[in-house]
Amino acid sequence: MFIDRIIVVCTVVLALLYFYGASLIPSLQIGDPLGPKAFPYLIGIGLLISAAWLLLETLQAGKADAADPQELADHADMGPEDNRHLLVIAGVVAWIAFYFALFEPVGFLLATPVSLLGLMVYFNRNKWVANVLTSVLFPVGIYFLFSKVLGVNLAKGLLPF
Amino acid sequence: MDSFIHIMNGFSVSLTPINLWYTFLGVFMGTVIGVLPGIGPAAGIALLIPVSYGLNPTSALIMMAGVYYGAQYGGSVTSILINTPGESSSVMTAIDGHQMARKGRAGAALAISAWGSFIGGTIGVIALTLLAVPLTKIALGFGPPEYFMLMLVALTAVSALTGKSPAKGMLAMMLGLAIATIGTDLQSGQTRFAMGVTELQDGVGFVIVVVGLFALGEVFSAMEEHFHKRSEILRLKGKLSLTKEEWRRSIKPIARGGTIGFLIGLLPGAGATIATIMSYSVEKNMSKHPQEFGKGAIEGVAGPETANNSATAGAMVPLLTLGVPGSGSTAVLLGAFVMYGIQPGPLLFQSRPDLVWGLVNSMYVGNVMLLLLNLPLIGLFVRLLYIPTGILLPLVIVLSTVGIFSVNGNTLELYLCLMFGVLGYVFRKIDIPLAPLVLALVLGGMMEQSFRQAMTLSGGNPKIFVGSVLTISLAALSVFIIGHTVYKALSRKSRLRSSAQTSPT
Repeated sequence: MFIDRIIVVCTVVLALLYFYGASLIPSLQIGDPLGPKAFPYLIGIGLLISAAWLLLETLQAGKADAADPQELADHADMGPEDNRHLLVIAGVVAWIAFYFALFEPVGFLLATPVSLLGLMVYFNRNKWVANVLTSVLFPVGIYFLFSKVLGVNLAKGLLPF
Repeated sequence: MDSFIHIMNGFSVSLTPINLWYTFLGVFMGTVIGVLPGIGPAAGIALLIPVSYGLNPTSALIMMAGVYYGAQYGGSVTSILINTPGESSSVMTAIDGHQMARKGRAGAALAISAWGSFIGGTIGVIALTLLAVPLTKIALGFGPPEYFMLMLVALTAVSALTGKSPAKGMLAMMLGLAIATIGTDLQSGQTRFAMGVTELQDGVGFVIVVVGLFALGEVFSAMEEHFHKRSEILRLKGKLSLTKEEWRRSIKPIARGGTIGFLIGLLPGAGATIATIMSYSVEKNMSKHPQEFGKGAIEGVAGPETANNSATAGAMVPLLTLGVPGSGSTAVLLGAFVMYGIQPGPLLFQSRPDLVWGLVNSMYVGNVMLLLLNLPLIGLFVRLLYIPTGILLPLVIVLSTVGIFSVNGNTLELYLCLMFGVLGYVFRKIDIPLAPLVLALVLGGMMEQSFRQAMTLSGGNPKIFVGSVLTISLAALSVFIIGHTVYKALSRKSRLRSSAQTSPT
């Protein structure tokens, strides 16, 4: 499968970066015959072995590919619809990152309802009453539970309480 | 005799009002987590770790264990009523359970899974109690090389047995080990792979990884599925009771499922899911009317539902007695122990018998509570299914955010968690299993320590890892697991190819 080959390439790149990172660790071998580098080197080798193994698997699968109905079905899954889903997920991730950016400067009690409502408007369409109520009441409940009962400080931000 | 006194003392710990309350809280949340899609026991326990920081360790661990085994009860509800299993260990329940519900026997299916779960869970705890003491006696003789090999076997088994491709399992395990090396090396004090980021000097927080992979990643996957049409929820009709005939048919599957589940649960890598598959196929093979399976045979619900609960108790055995978990969820539990500065294993049975036996005995109480929650009160939990996913999933995101932020109050860790969420989503898409990664992440530090201690003992000679009967047999075991996996993969491939030649498609 095509995706598996990409995984192989990514793993090899990652393993090389990891080796490079391991070589940067200063080692002072006192009383420890191995030092802090040896175990990471072993893991790097392990990463390369798993990449090689995966490559073997894809080569083998490639031979059986043509006649494997499951494999064909897998390919059929990756249509334009799937791409649209990826876009939506990317949008959600960006929206959450935006929420995290607001979290400390604006505060939990203001940032959370905004981001919750944004997600619900998209994923739970046309249910305005339920959406607005949950996106306000849930954060207020959580805030009260954490700051008053559990004594955990959630970001206050702009609000005085 | 000593251990008998310890076990009895354990009851006095687990029956204190405060611990009864936390047992209840744990099993209640476990049932909710089991019923709800989008959040599983691993993420649930991980989110509780920061919240329960101020509790005394015994109560906190009792609660988190409650979430772990309680989730197995709730998992069957979605399997039966909407044919979408909440957890992978409830997949087998869906086959016959949903058919029973379509025939109007949803009440009976739910009742037998509650009873099966209760009996399985209780059998499991009894076996755990009996097995723990002799096992810790053996484990006391373990040195660093034995521990290293033991962890290697656990990791190999989990990597080989979860997921479709063993190569991807190994890749996940190596990634977990690599993440575990980030941060300050305990032996030399050197900082490794921190890339100049201060937050990474203490390592990547285990809660961040687990919440990212299992909560956020799961939310993203569920949001994607949101676009596909939602299956209807069957109404819960009839009383939650069984006819005499149904009881008669279920007794033997329950007894067999309980035994199979516990034995499979003991083994690393296998776990609850494989136990349910084994139990289902055993019941189908032994049945006098196998044609009924898949069409609503009660044996197909009773066996697997018993097996997955006794498997969760079985999986507690290696965690508690050896300190080496054999699955993703027990790895998260180990992470919770470690957060409290407690290392499970044979020594803990000597130093903190009150904690160990208080925890084990709370599982008896917890199973009774779960039976009560899941029989008379199951209707309340079924209502949770009517919460639209469009509301539920955003709420899980907020809970994850709050959980991560309350660890250190650091926004950078939120972004790190989001990154792991994306990673979890992508890994699910490309079939890289997450359990080996989490297990390796939790075991990585301990593995490196025991590896280096063993090498120090032997003066740098790696032969120490095959220096005793025990290490040799453990090494042979992991070689066997790898060999068996490769063999199985090869034979499947050649079968595919020969079928390709015979049937032109």
